[in-house]
Amino acid sequence: MNAPRHLFRIQCIGCVSRFLGTPVQRVILTGGAHLQTPGSHYSNGQFLRPFHCSAVCSTSRPNQTEFEKAVEHQMQHKDKTLVTHDDLFERAARDSKTKADFNRVVDVFNKADIRRRGHVEFIYAALKKMPEFGVERDITVYNKLLDVFPKEVFVPQNFIQRMFNHYPRQQECGVQLLEQMENYGIMPNVETKVLLAQIFGEKSHPMRKYQRIMYWFPKFKHANPFPIPHVLPSDPVELARFSLTRIADGLDAKVTVYQYPSTDITETGEEVTHPHIIGIQSPDQRSLLAKHNPCRPVYVEGPFPLWLRKTCVHYFLLRADPIPPEEKVEEDFDPEMIGPEQSLFYPQRVELDLERDFGDDESFYVDDVEEGAVYAMCMAGQGDQATLSQWISGLQETCPILGQIPTVFRLESGPRELQTSSDAQQTPEQEVEIDQIIEEDPQRTQGVNQ
Amino acid sequence: MSLNKLILLTNTVKLGRNVFAARVAQTGHCLHHFQSRRSVRSSARSLAYAKDLFLGKVNKAEVFPYPEISNEELEEINQLVQPVEKFFSEDVDSTKIDHEAVIPPETLNGLKELGLFGIQIPEEYGGLGLSNTMYARLGEITSLDGSIAVTLAAHQAIGLKGILIAGNDAQKAKYLHKLATGEHIAAFCLTEPGSGSDAASIQTRAMLTEDGKHFLLNGTKFWISNGGWADIMTVFARTEVVDKDGQKKDKITAFIVEREFGGVTSGKPEDKLGIRGSNTCEISFEDTKVPIENVIGEVGGGFKVAMNILNNGRFSMGSAGAGVIKKLIELTSEYAGTRKQFNRSLSEFGMIQDKFATMAINAFVMESMAYLTAGMMDRPGVPDCSLEAAMVKVFSSEGSWICVSEALQVLGGLGFTKNYPYERYLRDCRILQIFEGTNEILRMYIALTGMQYAGKILTGKIKEMKKGNVGVVFEILGKKLKDSVVKTVDFGLTGKDGVVHPSLTESAKMFEQNAALFGSTVESLLYRYGKTIVEEQLVLKKVADVLINLYAMTAVLSRTSRSISIGLRNHDHEVLLTNTFCKDAHFKNNFLLTQLQKNSLENSDANIKKIAQDVLAKRAYVCSHPLDRTF
Repeated sequence: MNAPRHLFRIQCIGCVSRFLGTPVQRVILTGGAHLQTPGSHYSNGQFLRPFHCSAVCSTSRPNQTEFEKAVEHQMQHKDKTLVTHDDLFERAARDSKTKADFNRVVDVFNKADIRRRGHVEFIYAALKKMPEFGVERDITVYNKLLDVFPKEVFVPQNFIQRMFNHYPRQQECGVQLLEQMENYGIMPNVETKVLLAQIFGEKSHPMRKYQRIMYWFPKFKHANPFPIPHVLPSDPVELARFSLTRIADGLDAKVTVYQYPSTDITETGEEVTHPHIIGIQSPDQRSLLAKHNPCRPVYVEGPFPLWLRKTCVHYFLLRADPIPPEEKVEEDFDPEMIGPEQSLFYPQRVELDLERDFGDDESFYVDDVEEGAVYAMCMAGQGDQATLSQWISGLQETCPILGQIPTVFRLESGPRELQTSSDAQQTPEQEVEIDQIIEEDPQRTQGVNQ
Repeated sequence: MSLNKLILLTNTVKLGRNVFAARVAQTGHCLHHFQSRRSVRSSARSLAYAKDLFLGKVNKAEVFPYPEISNEELEEINQLVQPVEKFFSEDVDSTKIDHEAVIPPETLNGLKELGLFGIQIPEEYGGLGLSNTMYARLGEITSLDGSIAVTLAAHQAIGLKGILIAGNDAQKAKYLHKLATGEHIAAFCLTEPGSGSDAASIQTRAMLTEDGKHFLLNGTKFWISNGGWADIMTVFARTEVVDKDGQKKDKITAFIVEREFGGVTSGKPEDKLGIRGSNTCEISFEDTKVPIENVIGEVGGGFKVAMNILNNGRFSMGSAGAGVIKKLIELTSEYAGTRKQFNRSLSEFGMIQDKFATMAINAFVMESMAYLTAGMMDRPGVPDCSLEAAMVKVFSSEGSWICVSEALQVLGGLGFTKNYPYERYLRDCRILQIFEGTNEILRMYIALTGMQYAGKILTGKIKEMKKGNVGVVFEILGKKLKDSVVKTVDFGLTGKDGVVHPSLTESAKMFEQNAALFGSTVESLLYRYGKTIVEEQLVLKKVADVLINLYAMTAVLSRTSRSISIGLRNHDHEVLLTNTFCKDAHFKNNFLLTQLQKNSLENSDANIKKIAQDVLAKRAYVCSHPLDRTF
């Protein structure tokens, strides 16, 4: 599809048509036949008014399936009654709901009637059904829907038409279509522009809408410095890696996979699943942990939710209580090591009894809340103590001191597994299990792992 | 105060007389005499020139007249210089040294025979016993080969300097003889993998053995010049010291370590960009047994030893840079004079002329600064010229880089090839900005040392001002008013009792203006930042740059005044160079000082910081590609 070229051509047509009128357009448009689908399947009637059909949107040659014949038949049959277009989609989607199905319905509609009677209703219905078919983010589908509009007829021809709202219903429908694109964050492309220009003309409401979208969308495109892809990685390890690096946005932080998910079958025939354990720790966290007072416990806490668009994942923390003020050991400064002479080359401090001037003090008051250090984070396939102990022992490899520190598991009885919005509802058995745990310890399950 | 001045004045008069006496004195005295005379020649030093600039004072007695050496010394040095020059032009094959990354033994032997391994070692220990000034003069020639210059500098400017300035007589007697002849080569071992300029992170440790007679040395040192072939090393290590409260503490101690002691291994020589012939490698010590007599100074006193060695070794870089540039001017001007383009020789083109002027001015300024500083250091007493030495190093290392690059540019593509020595000079001189304290660190040193000095004196006044003491405020306002009405600042450099020659009046006035403005700027900086000035590195950089320019202006003014007065050859050219440089430096200073004013439009430090923070947060270039699209 050579859309920009075509746009240019349309502009040429605009100039030429002023002198010659529509017939020229027809000639030129068909002259750009390479853009049209080869072996046009339009009926004779359409050939008579070729400017009504798209010169831009390609339609795949439809295979005449059983379904189509049925639908076609039905449409012809019901011609005199009010066709509910929702039905059309319902029927098409009886067995599967894919892009191909959706496209087929649109094609069928396009072919059913030369005049495209009821196309506004059809487009509204189609817009409503798009999420069901999973095509709500597909620009080609939107363009295909736009293509349903007959071309040329809604373009105002004189200043009076231009002054008043020409074909308001159609324009409104076009705006709605663009609005739905906007809501799903789909950026129109040049093809959309060509179609809009053909259908509504250069200064119509949908065209304005298009221009406004094109003004704002590029500006907002990179507004989020931490974008989440629309399609999240399906591999739980990759997903955990993505989520953890998203929380701990340090460039030095290192992700470690302590265990890959696997399923073993023991000799007795039991299935043993090893959940994945992925942790993240930065060098700073590691050195903080190494300095931790072994008399004070560290806590494994969680699960805490993290939402990635419509998916919720859970993570766990290894943290400590804030160090009480009496235990804070000031790093003892050696006046020679860390004094004005600490550097061999220049003084690290200037010994003056002068503070920064008030007028040059650009710092502002920040209420610092003392918090305990977070030493590491992890995501695991299962949130039970056994799994998390494996994580802790994995951490011990880099931080041997962790072996001497009492580790307290404060796991809340939340969801135990990766949860997506689709499988949010729990089975009754699971609920029972969780109830039992709650009975045991109404607040949290605690266990000390020495 | 006035009494003090009077004493000073008489001292200067005496100095002048002494210099005069020395000049007319007959030759033929034995050298010992001169050495003793050298030390009584002038008054004990009590003032600091560069530091006082921070207070807006110009201690003209310190820098005027330009220091000079006696005729005998001049003759002596000229006699020394000739064979060295001959040796370097005939027997040193720099291309080969650079290519093979090793200095051939016969070249080294030649250097030893010339006595270049013991330039500053006293004659009683077998060295040449030359002053700093004469050392700088020799540095001009040795610098013609970067590798040799660095090897020699690592040997005597830092390697054996510890023994020379802080060693006891026994140590001197034991080591200096062999070091002076070059039989033993010295190295200076301070830098460690985890410690550049930061003494606290030195990990090498020396443990006292049970019998209390030895230290066991363990650790690794990095980037040790001469590390591969050094026999005697000055090593800095942590030792446990019991302080006066009875607590055990780690302190730095300096040791003389012989390779013979055992346990010393050197790594593979580093493959470097420049100074390829010099030997740089890693040295590790493993249970090296160092006798307790080999501690330099006292146990735990290594920090000051290191500071002294480093602070005093830098001044010679000025003369070295000047030596290289002078040589390059000769080489390139020949090319520019013969090469024809569009029927005109290159030397007729303005842009080429510009390059030669740049080289000449830079060489002139470097030379002036280096010999002024060396002269100051040669005065008796314990001169603290570390600030001046650091300024010489920063100015000359950067100037050399620019000049060598310009010289290469004159030759265009030819300069880029290995057929000409320019690319080697360019590579060799890149190290000047890095070693002996990077220029960034030295700028911090220059600015902070001065700020500390000025701060101690000004704190009281500033505090009164902050308290709103009406008297002080009015005094300052009055001074400012007076300054704005009476535009001229007078430090007495020119005029009736002036020290600057009248033909340089304009330049001297520019210098005075800058110096006065600098003083008030320092005061306002102290007022604004107080002790947090340490964190304002961009401000400190500008302060250091202004001070370097001021010192350079002083040096050229002083030198040229002397040249005119005694009628040195081509002193009119010196006047030209001085006036050109001073005008340039004056405008640069004005710009820098304007930037240092509060809410200055010219200052974009905040933006610079922000850019750097953005880039460093991402650790990558932040912008999208210019060809990227959003739709």
